[in-house]
Amino acid sequence: MSANETVIDHLLQFEFFQKISTAIGSQIGVSHIWVWYMVALILVAAVITGILAAVGGFGTYAERKISADIQGRFGPNRVGPYGLFQVIADGLKMIGKEDISPNESDKFLFYLAPFLCIFGVVATFAVLPFSAGLTLSKTNVGIYYVVAISSLVGLGIFIAGYASNSKWSLLGGMRGASQIISYEIPVTLSIMSILLLSGGLSFEDILANQTAWPAGWYIFHNPFTFIGFFVYFVSVLAETNRAPFDLPEAESELVSGYHTEYTGMRYGLFALAEYMEVFVVCGLAATLFLGGYHVPFDIGKGTIFGDILQIGTFFAKTLGLYYVVIWVRWTFPRLRVDHLMSICWKYLTPIALFNLLGVSVWILFFDGKSILDLFLSAISSGPVGH
Amino acid sequence: MNAAVSSSVTSPSLHVLTPLIVFMVIAVLLFGGALLVAYLISPKAPSRQKSMIYECGEIPVGTAWSMFNVRFYVIGLVFIVFDVETALLIPVASVYRTLVAEGQGLYVFIILISFMAVIIEGLAYLWKKGDLDWVKSYKK
Amino acid sequence: MLPEIVLLFSAFMVFLGGILLISTKNLMHSCIFLLMCLFGVAGVYASLGAEFLAVTQIIVYIGGIVILMLFAVMLTGGKEFISRLHKVLNLAPLMGDKSTYMKGSIVGLIIFGGLSAFFYQLLKVLPLKEQQVSDYKIIGHSLLTDNLLAFELSSFLLLGALIGAAIIAKPEKVSESKPTDI
Repeated sequence: MSANETVIDHLLQFEFFQKISTAIGSQIGVSHIWVWYMVALILVAAVITGILAAVGGFGTYAERKISADIQGRFGPNRVGPYGLFQVIADGLKMIGKEDISPNESDKFLFYLAPFLCIFGVVATFAVLPFSAGLTLSKTNVGIYYVVAISSLVGLGIFIAGYASNSKWSLLGGMRGASQIISYEIPVTLSIMSILLLSGGLSFEDILANQTAWPAGWYIFHNPFTFIGFFVYFVSVLAETNRAPFDLPEAESELVSGYHTEYTGMRYGLFALAEYMEVFVVCGLAATLFLGGYHVPFDIGKGTIFGDILQIGTFFAKTLGLYYVVIWVRWTFPRLRVDHLMSICWKYLTPIALFNLLGVSVWILFFDGKSILDLFLSAISSGPVGH
Repeated sequence: MNAAVSSSVTSPSLHVLTPLIVFMVIAVLLFGGALLVAYLISPKAPSRQKSMIYECGEIPVGTAWSMFNVRFYVIGLVFIVFDVETALLIPVASVYRTLVAEGQGLYVFIILISFMAVIIEGLAYLWKKGDLDWVKSYKK
Repeated sequence: MLPEIVLLFSAFMVFLGGILLISTKNLMHSCIFLLMCLFGVAGVYASLGAEFLAVTQIIVYIGGIVILMLFAVMLTGGKEFISRLHKVLNLAPLMGDKSTYMKGSIVGLIIFGGLSAFFYQLLKVLPLKEQQVSDYKIIGHSLLTDNLLAFELSSFLLLGALIGAAIIAKPEKVSESKPTDI
């Protein structure tokens, strides 16, 4: 890897930053470049986590504002202009609330569960491709790592439900765990149909064959990936416990589901983990199917300006999908639990398997060309197009 | 702690694993810190009623830790089977396109099909037996 | 340097998780310590450069097996089951008095010694270097060439597991006596 390519390399060039790092390094007594790298990495990681936590926080605001818009109300509008500071008010209130844990709960698991959830989400930020320069870890198992680590969230939800020793919580936790593991199958199978095209699990490989223009996106590559996108999207709605699949926290039947007994900041961690996970899965959808961070004509490639453009593109696509997720929530009624399972196992999984076979047949017969390529070559070879 | 890495900032092993670990540590520290702040400034006025388990305002009856339906277990088993299947298929799927380009496509495709056909057969069996229904109907 | 730190830390996690796993009498807690142990194993894989294996370890064992075990504990009735069977558990091997612990640790030491003697021979042969080529692609090639039979046979193993799952869930004699119409 050449220098000056990643955001961290850019950061390493600043003299002020070098001074700080050298000062820290001389305190510990280790090689300064290593310290530079570590300090830069920790700084960038903390900033990313902070920003995504803010995105998660504003997710709650967006949710209320959009739902109000859909239902013809105003939504939060007291704190700050357009109620924008509602998030801060909520956060402060959450921190200031008393932390109650039930006497009869399993204390160890009760305290552990929110951490499992937040850990499973935050650990995935390390591989998210925000831009070419801001993909912190270029591990070659990128997407599979995200799927794996986020399975800890399901475990956290189950543990939370169990540890509370409340009937509502336990029902919510059991539903949550079984729902999350069930819907992981269509998600993984849809990802695999993209893997057939990309030939690698890392985000670099996945993005290498896509372009900035919709014609080069994997969603429009062939009919099977087009279906695959919707299979993926529906499944991740269920995996993140979003409506219409929000059975683990169905407030009309289970009070508040798995986090019934949680108060204050511990509840806040669950809520934050959920909203951040929605962001992560939307980001994955944008990367896998919608061309990711690619900017038209590769404007400013390799410079800090280009990185900012790419981050903007990534966030625009992701937040667009985020809007759709909220929109879906306020449009569809909640599913029944048996319908939930039959949708997963009888519809989405067979469709995803079919897609997988379809994509492999497509690659075999059309040599991995996209539908547009085929169309263009048909036009150029024959005088009469369709 | 040596200066051996000073020649290159971007040693590959450093690049691949470090961010993952940094994020894992940050996840614990940052949100643990939030909990600590909450612990420091939040009021503490415990009472028996507060630390009771919520059961719609009534005094809770018994414990929630009771026996559960076997359906959850079956779902878990089926999930693991499919999980292992994807873990086996991913390596094959990742080399599929290059092998097709090398002209061995049909051979790999047949392998892929025959592997998946067996799994699909299993899914069809479960479907027919009614194990994919949440509420299994016992009617023949 | 980092892989070594990760390796040591992961090994410590495996060790600590294992110790806690067998020493706690709460089944749910042991599942969580098992998670810690398995996460440590994944860390060991990752530090040795086998990233795909590490991630598979997480997705299959932590995402699958641990949840399955938790479900299995829920089948027994969770903590109630333990309190009911507390005396039985105390009599069971490795959950009881000091003599069982002694016997267990002697057996464990013998197995550990044998295995480490075996693996030491193996480690001298294996090159412990980081591979630049994606490891899953190597696995994919080998599954399609040298280990083709194993790959195809594993699908039958999975089929067997699916059928087994169906048999486990089969209600006992309910279908014969009277069909319930839920």
